[in-house]
Amino acid sequence: MAPNAPQNSAAGRSPIAAPDVDTEDLELTRLIAACAARNSQALRQLYDRTAPQLLACMVRILKRRALAEEALQDVFVSIWQRAGQFESRRGRPRAWLMSIARYRAIDVLRSERAELYREAEIEQLPQLVTEGGSDWAGAGRSAAALARCFERLSPDQRRGIELAFVEGASHADIARVTQQPLGTVKSWIRRGLASLRQCLER
Amino acid sequence: MKHDDPKMIDALAAEYVLGTLSGRARRRFERWRSREWHVERRVQAWEERLSGLALRLPPMRPSPHVWSQIEKRIGANAGPRTAPAPPQRASRWQAVAASVALLVVLVGGFFMYRSMLGPQLQPLATLTAQNATEPAWDLSADKDLRHLRARAGAGATAQAGKSYELWALPDNGSAPVSLGVIPAIGEIDRELTDAQRAALRGSSKVAVSLEPEGGSTTGAPTGPVLFVAERVKPA
Repeated sequence: MAPNAPQNSAAGRSPIAAPDVDTEDLELTRLIAACAARNSQALRQLYDRTAPQLLACMVRILKRRALAEEALQDVFVSIWQRAGQFESRRGRPRAWLMSIARYRAIDVLRSERAELYREAEIEQLPQLVTEGGSDWAGAGRSAAALARCFERLSPDQRRGIELAFVEGASHADIARVTQQPLGTVKSWIRRGLASLRQCLER
Repeated sequence: MKHDDPKMIDALAAEYVLGTLSGRARRRFERWRSREWHVERRVQAWEERLSGLALRLPPMRPSPHVWSQIEKRIGANAGPRTAPAPPQRASRWQAVAASVALLVVLVGGFFMYRSMLGPQLQPLATLTAQNATEPAWDLSADKDLRHLRARAGAGATAQAGKSYELWALPDNGSAPVSLGVIPAIGEIDRELTDAQRAALRGSSKVAVSLEPEGGSTTGAPTGPVLFVAERVKPA
C-alpha cells in the first residue's frame, strides 16, 4: 500500500469517483443504511450521487444506452431491496454498488433481452487509454495501487482484463478481437489476475 | 460443486467478478457465493480490487424517465409511509375505533417488519477462550436451527492465512460435523443444511478449530481445537 500517495485533482468528476474517498464512503454508507430503513429519499440521493457513474459503466458493457438505462432501473430496485445486506459485508460502498451494476449489465448482455435492442443505436464511446497516461485520477485514492499494479502487467494481460471488466467481453470475444487462440486468451487473463493480486497484496 | 482448494476458489471468484465466468458455471458460483461466507469474502476482495478499473469512465447522466420508473417500481413494495389521520370531529367511539385500527396497523406492520428482518434468533452458545474475558463468538439460531448467526467478539483475532471453522460435536460420540467457516471480524448469517441441522440438534457442545484458509479440506478438524462451548439450554 502506498501511504498518502499524492492526489491529482479530480474536480468536476462524479462524487462516486471523488478523491475524498473516506467522507464519500461514509456518506454512501449512511444513504444505503437509510434505504435499508425504507427511506426512499435516501435512494433518490444515492441515485443522484452514483447513477451517472454506474450508467457509464453499464453503457460500456451494453453499448446501447436504452438497454443500459433499462438495466439501471433494475440496479436501483435491487439496491433498494438488498440495502439491508450491505451492512454485514463491511466493504466499501462504491465497490458494492459498482458490482451490482456490472453483474446486472453482464447478465443482460448474455441474455435474450439484448437481442431486442440489436437495432438500437450504438453509443459512440471514446477508446480507453490503456497505454500509460491513463486517467486514473477520478478513480479515487485506492485506485493508485491498482493503477501501479495494472501498469506492471504485460500489454496482453492488461488488454484482456480491461476488455472483460470494462467492456463485458467474454473469453471468446477477446479471442476474436485480438485474433488469438481461446486458450491463449484464457491464460493471459488467469495469469494477469494472479499477478495483479500478488502485486496488490504486497 | 466441491472446490475446496482456496486457490481454485480464488481463481473462480476473480473470473466471476471479471465476468468471464459465464453460463451455468456462473449461476452455480452465484449460489455457492450466497451460501458460503468464505467464498463471498473472496468475491468481495476481488470486487474491491478491480472496481477502480471502471471508476475511470466519465460519468453519463441518465434520462429523466429512468428515475420515475424506479420510483414507480419501489413504490409498490415500499409500503404505507403515513398512518391515516384520525377524523377531525370524531365522536368518542369513532376515535376509539380509529385508535384500535391504527394499533392493528402498527402491530401488524411491526410483525411484518420483524418477519422481513428474518428469523427470530435465540442465543445458541458463547465461545470464550480459557482465561479470556471477552467472548470470541456469540452464536445464535432460530428455534428450528435452520438459520445460524455467528458474531465475532473482541476475543476473536484474525490470523493471516488461517480460517476458523465451527463444528457440532454430536453427543453420541460420532465425528464432528462442520457448520462452516466463521469470520474473526463482523458476523455471518448462514442457512444450515438438513445434515448440519440434524447434527446440531444431537449435539450439546460446539467447537471452533483453526484451519487452513477457507476451512478444513478433509471434512474433519485438522488444526487445533481452540474453543469448546456448551449449547444454551432452550428456554
